[in-house]
Amino acid sequence: MKFEHCVRCTLCVENCPVFKVNPAFPGPKQSGPDAQRFRLDGERSVDEWVRLCSQCKRCEVACPYGVNVAEIILKAQLKYSSEHMSPFAAHLFANTHYLGKLGSLATPLTNAMTSSSFVKGALKIMGLATYLPMPEYRFMSLERGRRRKGRFRSPKKVVFFHGCYLNYNRPDIGRGIRDLLTYLGCRVVMPPQSCCGLPALGNGDLGMARKFARKNAKSLVEYIDKGYKMLYACTSCGLALVHDYPEVLDIPEGKKIAENTYNVHEFILDSIEDGSLTVDFSEVDKHVAYHIPCHLRALGIGYPAAGIFEKIPGLKFHILDEHCCGLSGSYGFKKKNQQTAQKLGEIAASAIKALEPDCLVSDCGACKMQLGHFTGLPALDPSEVIIESIMGSDSKKVSLKRRVL
Amino acid sequence: MSVHEYDAVVIGGGVSGIMASLHLSCKGYKTALISKGDPVCCLSTGCIDVFTGEGNPLEKISRLPKEHPYSLAGRETVIEALSFFRETVSRSGLPYVGDYERNRRIITPIGTVKNTCLVPLTMAGAEHAEGEYLHVVSFKGIKDFYPSYITSRIRSSAFSVFDAGVSTTLGIAAKFEEPAFLDTFISWLQGLEIPHDKIAIPAVLGTGNPVSIMEKISSAVGRTVFEIPTLPPSIPGLRLFRALKKALQEQGGHIYWGKGVTSVECQGEEIEAVTLATTGRSSRVQGKAFILATGSFVSGGLYATRETVRETVFNLPVSVPGERKDWFNADFFTAGHAIEKAGVEIDASFTPTATRLKNLFVCGSIIAGSEVMKNQCGHGLAVATGVAAAKMCEKRLS
Repeated sequence: MKFEHCVRCTLCVENCPVFKVNPAFPGPKQSGPDAQRFRLDGERSVDEWVRLCSQCKRCEVACPYGVNVAEIILKAQLKYSSEHMSPFAAHLFANTHYLGKLGSLATPLTNAMTSSSFVKGALKIMGLATYLPMPEYRFMSLERGRRRKGRFRSPKKVVFFHGCYLNYNRPDIGRGIRDLLTYLGCRVVMPPQSCCGLPALGNGDLGMARKFARKNAKSLVEYIDKGYKMLYACTSCGLALVHDYPEVLDIPEGKKIAENTYNVHEFILDSIEDGSLTVDFSEVDKHVAYHIPCHLRALGIGYPAAGIFEKIPGLKFHILDEHCCGLSGSYGFKKKNQQTAQKLGEIAASAIKALEPDCLVSDCGACKMQLGHFTGLPALDPSEVIIESIMGSDSKKVSLKRRVL
Repeated sequence: MSVHEYDAVVIGGGVSGIMASLHLSCKGYKTALISKGDPVCCLSTGCIDVFTGEGNPLEKISRLPKEHPYSLAGRETVIEALSFFRETVSRSGLPYVGDYERNRRIITPIGTVKNTCLVPLTMAGAEHAEGEYLHVVSFKGIKDFYPSYITSRIRSSAFSVFDAGVSTTLGIAAKFEEPAFLDTFISWLQGLEIPHDKIAIPAVLGTGNPVSIMEKISSAVGRTVFEIPTLPPSIPGLRLFRALKKALQEQGGHIYWGKGVTSVECQGEEIEAVTLATTGRSSRVQGKAFILATGSFVSGGLYATRETVRETVFNLPVSVPGERKDWFNADFFTAGHAIEKAGVEIDASFTPTATRLKNLFVCGSIIAGSEVMKNQCGHGLAVATGVAAAKMCEKRLS
């Protein structure tokens, strides 16, 4: 804890999306370093409002004095949750992994159910927000498909951490990334994996988060030891892997994982820049608004997908990194946060719409769901644009072409 | 570890750092900006102070000692930089007004007058003429903005208070971006039938497009409307930072936000790369030239120990005015504490004099002898030296 480094300058407050639209939340300065001075071990937490923080980490990025504002708040949230009964919705979303497994197994029943007005009514009673359609599940999840692809002897070996969203909800994007990497000459492996643990952390279930993290560490470190690099596409999974595993969850292999884990676009861009990969980009005639997920900012790696976008001829893109989409994973799916999420969604969407783009692009599944809903624009993953440029618009056909390396 | 290669790497994401990056990006150089957090500019009034006091700031800076960074930049570069700044922010939708050769006055939240050079368009109406009547609008429960401070100092004035439902400047600013709220506010204001010439509102007219909000109010009530900057969190400061950052991103400059530099690699007399403490793992950022724009003590560019002052990124030699006992005036509120002179000494090439490093340039308040508080020249100096250092850097790169 570095709360004593806080000089109370309010830069974190200026960056807090929740504070901006929800007067019930006292802001990151007060709920973080200020309140921390009064939080004592062994004393029961009384700060219920600390749960209003969505853990977007914008405060932490803004702080020039290195105060880990969001982490202080996260720990206070965990403490509060361990001492009080968690609402039903929190239990539900802590288990995103099992929800996904079940949801995917029972498609199309799940999808029919979540879109029925009767179920929606029931969800409302259970404390869930229903302004946004629940994400659809896919039976042919990523883990059911091909888990190893690419030449075994390839010098570029990667293990892909797909996360729950790509696995159960958008396996098409996951398969696209897998095929792009093999097309570029990589050996891709997707070992059995659980949820990264972030939803459990965000919903106050430290035990569950640690369980997931241990499971993942066990199956992934084996590959890292063999010289594989680990890649993630979901920036929130990425942040959990490189930050929360070593720092919050105290996973013994955490440091090793953090040091060997890369954003998938960062990996591609690095490989292009160090000359180990030659890629031909063909023209993509699109005007896109690139909404930067808060957790990509928090990773501190810059915006690698934008670095690739620059190389794509014809592509016109704008970076939007000032607004949080408001959904923050499962945060906006809870009734008590619904108003906050909706207001923030509208603010972020109006910034996108002002650019009049053809579509919006974001690395994060939640951002895409939320902003797709509020803008009415098609919401793409950056990899979809990159794949269109590298492999042509009909990626299925082209993926059979010979690799470039 | 990831490796990134750039022509120029700017360290420090404040006004001077962004201006330097922007200048180089506009000239077609691949530029990276590294900042360990948001800049102090977000806490400022958003006005560009070129030099303290009334009158002609350019004339005043021409009388500064020849080693002052303004003198090293030269009058032409100062003007060029200020014009470049104005073009930039106006392209980002945040137009500034002002005359380089005449300071203008704005009203502070305690009703005093502040002299400054360039102000955002929303503060253009602040200049108070003799005999003019002023009506201050405040908001219920708003912190650190007490209209009676203003009405007690400006005799021909009155105030009224609007209940926005929220009491924070950021909360009210977000509300102003909702058309329904703006309409309610305007009809309330029209209902007051204000007999005064001008209406002053704390700077909360939205974070995105304050000019259109101001104009809407102004045309609805038929009065000049202007903003009074508030204490931090300061919306005009935030707008300025966002406008500059947006301009840099549109120009293709890369930004590494939220992480500081942990180590520096040198090859002979040149800096080769810096290492960033990205989350979980470090990244290496290589550059042909580097610009240091980390600011002074508040921003963390300089760090004072009991005995001396350190430069925090490259550990450059720092010129320090005497011993610690000589650093401060006995009275805190008298301007010109000696410690303000502390900083990195540079010459007209904007490279540090006391080091052998050839590809390092310095800009902003970290430069020795700037005396930003005494001269009240923070943003002006940042703009001018940012462009001046970038021009020197450009010379080396070409």
